[in-house]
Amino acid sequence: MAADVPESGGEQSPADAPHPAFEDYATESPPQAAVGAPGKDGVLELRFEPGTGGTRLVHDYATVPFHVSGTLGHDPHPDVETVFVQSPTGGIAQGDRHDVTIEVGDGARAHVSTQSSTKVQSMDHNYAGAETGLSVGADAHLDYVPEPTILHADSRFVQDLTISCASGGSAVVSDVVVPGRLARGERFAFERYLSRVRATGPAGLLFEDTTHLVPGESDPQVPGVLGEFSVYGTAFVVAPDRDAADLSDALHEAVADCEARAGASELPNGAGVTVRALGDRAETVQAALHAGWDRARRNLFSAPAPAGRKY
Amino acid sequence: MSDDATLEAFRLADSFLPVGTYSVSYGLEQFVADDRVTDADDLEALLSTYLRRQLGPADLVALRGAHRAVRDDDLEAVCAADRRLSAVTLAAEFRESARQSGDRLLSLQREIRGDALFESYADRIDAGETPGNYPVVLGAATGLAGIGEREACLLACHGFVTGLLGAAQRLLSLGHTDAQRILDGLKPVMSAAIDDSADRSVAEMAPFAPLVDVLAADHERADRRLFAS
Repeated sequence: MAADVPESGGEQSPADAPHPAFEDYATESPPQAAVGAPGKDGVLELRFEPGTGGTRLVHDYATVPFHVSGTLGHDPHPDVETVFVQSPTGGIAQGDRHDVTIEVGDGARAHVSTQSSTKVQSMDHNYAGAETGLSVGADAHLDYVPEPTILHADSRFVQDLTISCASGGSAVVSDVVVPGRLARGERFAFERYLSRVRATGPAGLLFEDTTHLVPGESDPQVPGVLGEFSVYGTAFVVAPDRDAADLSDALHEAVADCEARAGASELPNGAGVTVRALGDRAETVQAALHAGWDRARRNLFSAPAPAGRKY
Repeated sequence: MSDDATLEAFRLADSFLPVGTYSVSYGLEQFVADDRVTDADDLEALLSTYLRRQLGPADLVALRGAHRAVRDDDLEAVCAADRRLSAVTLAAEFRESARQSGDRLLSLQREIRGDALFESYADRIDAGETPGNYPVVLGAATGLAGIGEREACLLACHGFVTGLLGAAQRLLSLGHTDAQRILDGLKPVMSAAIDDSADRSVAEMAPFAPLVDVLAADHERADRRLFAS
């Protein structure tokens, strides 16, 4: 992202926008610290490698709003290293651009999450964006299961998440979006949310999944889209070298009776399995995805998922 | 369009076309089993979602890509649209249905209107290099027959909706007049879906109907079912 930093609150070019729908926003300069200025261009880099007695975090670099306090050793599987990324800020603001890179070296196993929900604050200028690149080495595994993203009224958020998986590698990547501060009656008051997840393997694109919600233009709560539900989450179990049919049935069985409405299906190109969940509250959607994650872990390397609770 | 192209369009839009439309419901069977679709109004709302969220942002984009590609005699571009459509279709049953219907249409077109491009496309499918999805085969067939791109999209929307109305008549107590009323009422939605697809490149396919995906996942494991999807 460093190359994108303007000299001093300079004009943004529409060409910087990652999607045509965000071009108009990109031309609006936020009145506070400029787009990409220090404090608004958060960078997070984590690299894991196998070591004696399990995986080790061998590189970590974090700028505001990211903070890494070190690793945690509570995973039920002894080889897995855990990092909970913290944030000292109140959330994501207009003009923020985040860049996250997580690499898991050949044979390593890591679990990365956030400590609390990511709040995308209300905006009247520009937008907020995040790019996340996850790379999983041969016979390595990554669990990337951040807490939900909460979209406050009038927020505009775009995220791009890319997973690259080497031979024998696997990953569980989940994403839960909450359409407002539900407890105060705020729902679907955000302006625009665009999230793209794509995975590649040695032979190229495995799958791509796009969520583009613009409640002011198109009601998301229609039959077949979100229906009567508000909270939406997906867990991608990327495991190109596993039997996807067996894994899909196992995950469906694990999530079908959850309080949230959830189901599992085989991903395209033998990439693994997707679990979708819809609910009225973030907790029920997270519980369904956690049940799927837990079953995937038991299937992939015979260990349960760590408990979801972080306090 | 020439008379031949127009008649070819009618033939491809007809529910008489033997591509297995009777065996697919694209999740509708599960929506009925779930009591989410109980009458004509529910059905029209769900069909509207399919048009706006699946056909417009994905199937029609693939169809247009294949239509343009055959006019340019570009087999690689046909296959690129085909592979992309599979990569963005996350419900396994929908990929399987699109592949099976595509296989039937391609066999049919090769029998009655042979074309060198169809032969080499079929070779790529047999080699496992590209899936052979129905919207892509339909895009190629309409492009080769001289049917306009927008007319091809209208044909695809009409065929999709009549297919699901046929399924609905076997799943619900839906009268013929209700079925025709829905087909008529969805005309502006079809136009809107086609307009949406016009603004997208093949790389911008983005279907979004998560509740359909969840119900399709249930349908995969349903004990008794009439339809393959």
